[in-house]
Amino acid sequence: MIRVENLAKSFEDKKRGAVQALEHVSFEVKPREIFGLLGPNGAGKTTCLRLLATILKPTSGTAEVGGADIVRSPEAVRRQIGFLSGDMGYYARLTPREVLTFFGKLNGLEGAGLRQRIDEMEATFEFGEFANTKIDKLSTGMKQKVAIARTVLHDPPILILDEPSSGLDVPTARLIENFMLRARESGKCILFSTHVMEEAEYLCDRIGVVHQGKLKALGTMDELRAQTGKQRLREIFLTLLDMVELVDKSEGARK
Amino acid sequence: MNLKISAAVYQKELLEIFRDRRTMISMVVVPLAAIPLLFMLISKFMSSREEQAKGEAVTVGVLGEDKVPTVLKALKAAGFQPMPTADLRAAVEKKEVAASVEETADASGETHISIYIDKTRQASEIAGDKIQTALDKLKMDTVRASLRGSGVAEKILTPFDLKSVNVASEKKMSGLVFGSALGYVVILLMFTGAMYPAIDMTAGEKERRTLEAVLASPAGRNEIVLGKIGATATAAFITALLTLASMAYSFRFSPQAESTQEALHMAPPDMGSLAMVLITVLPTAIVAASLMVAIAICAKSYKEGQSYLTPIVMLAAFPAVVGMLPGLELTPALALIPIFNVCQLVKEIFLGEFSRVAYAVAFVANLAYAAIGYLVAARIFKSESVLFRV
Repeated sequence: MIRVENLAKSFEDKKRGAVQALEHVSFEVKPREIFGLLGPNGAGKTTCLRLLATILKPTSGTAEVGGADIVRSPEAVRRQIGFLSGDMGYYARLTPREVLTFFGKLNGLEGAGLRQRIDEMEATFEFGEFANTKIDKLSTGMKQKVAIARTVLHDPPILILDEPSSGLDVPTARLIENFMLRARESGKCILFSTHVMEEAEYLCDRIGVVHQGKLKALGTMDELRAQTGKQRLREIFLTLLDMVELVDKSEGARK
Repeated sequence: MNLKISAAVYQKELLEIFRDRRTMISMVVVPLAAIPLLFMLISKFMSSREEQAKGEAVTVGVLGEDKVPTVLKALKAAGFQPMPTADLRAAVEKKEVAASVEETADASGETHISIYIDKTRQASEIAGDKIQTALDKLKMDTVRASLRGSGVAEKILTPFDLKSVNVASEKKMSGLVFGSALGYVVILLMFTGAMYPAIDMTAGEKERRTLEAVLASPAGRNEIVLGKIGATATAAFITALLTLASMAYSFRFSPQAESTQEALHMAPPDMGSLAMVLITVLPTAIVAASLMVAIAICAKSYKEGQSYLTPIVMLAAFPAVVGMLPGLELTPALALIPIFNVCQLVKEIFLGEFSRVAYAVAFVANLAYAAIGYLVAARIFKSESVLFRV
């Protein structure tokens, strides 16, 4: 469903000159799979996801998302994805229903079909009376539900989630986790980024470790353990990042 | 071009506009409250000035009643109260008297009269005019009296009668004043009315991080920009509509309408002209909207957007001010200048004599500027370095 080939992106920065945010990254994500991009801040995760969501254009390389090329037919790509980022804002002055109506229309839904879909979302996420309350007045959890509902409203086969649980408390983050697991069950292809090890370990079928714009390793947890000789994802991660001095030397012994 | 997308964006932006306090103030409150207030202040000011002028006009400074033997009687007859003062100039400057009169005689015995007035003061000017009239009459009377004994016919003094007739109707007179001022006010308020929505839906969305989700939807960039410019232009147009409505109200229908008309020496504007003005400013609303949206996209925060657009509002006022200068006529070539052309047309509509060619040229030119503005905004909106500038 997602096939990334030699994807690279560099930015022009006034102070630093050309900055290579992503260097020749390749990986694949299949339907009914959760693929996690793991990396420290500034590793290039967000850039990678934005490239796949066609918000940014690659400097070189390309990717296919749902059979459409991100460079040649970005609009066809965007029709098949649900995109959510953890630091996204809310339309505070609108109600959940108005936001869903807006995004539904942007995704080509209209009329009775749109209304029915919004009703379904409101039932699934238990908006109840809050459906017509301005988002400003909603709790963080409720806001998060609106964001998720907005992402899956048009039933996209592919979900691209950029640190979806960043800044959320445990119960609210759990909303996101459950949502991802349910989406996988229903056959969706899910690509997400995180720097929370636990979350990655719990959710991911496969993991790609990104550091300084490069893909350092790729595989299932077991494959990564075999590759590094470490058990916990935290230690695997630090080993892959060549931050050997930070790796817990006693890890194996403690196990 | 998928207009359904633009319509969806347009609807959503209007919802946001109507729920944003800053926008509502600049779009609704300012035109509805400020205009009647402005008129009230102007008419209060004018009538109090006139009263003051009337009161002040009766005093006239002299060095002493015996120092103005020739004119004293005439001054008193014209209703002036001579006030002895040591310094005739200073008394006028310090507003102790409306004007001063000095009488001197030279070596040959000829009499010289000087009137001191302060031309920056209405009261002083009025007094000066009255003194002039009174002394002109005195002069004539004196000449007549001398002629009476000489046998020369008095008629020799007035070989012909002279008067000037103002052919402009009252409508035209008020049209000139009203039209010049209105064009400026409408343009200025329209740009202010467009400013906050334009910032809010571009830099504001960037700052609040809501834009990314829209960009990741299948909606095309051109369609999104069209919806945003449409909504901003609507806000600008609503501002113009409310400004005109509130002017019409305070001039025609409010309880103070008559005193306002009287104080401003103006007849009320007719509704046909007001409607015509609305149609005339429509393309300018779109020009203002596309210009402001295009610029505000480049800002990364609401605050930055404000500091980008405030100079634009001032810049827009510039051709509008030039348009207020009297004596400028709208030729087809001048009709190509944006904003200026609208100000001129508004003035000419109120004078009831606009040229159809100039009107058509201006209308088409403004639509063309609007289209260029849209294309530029759409282009900027596709630049990732602008959208993700941090």
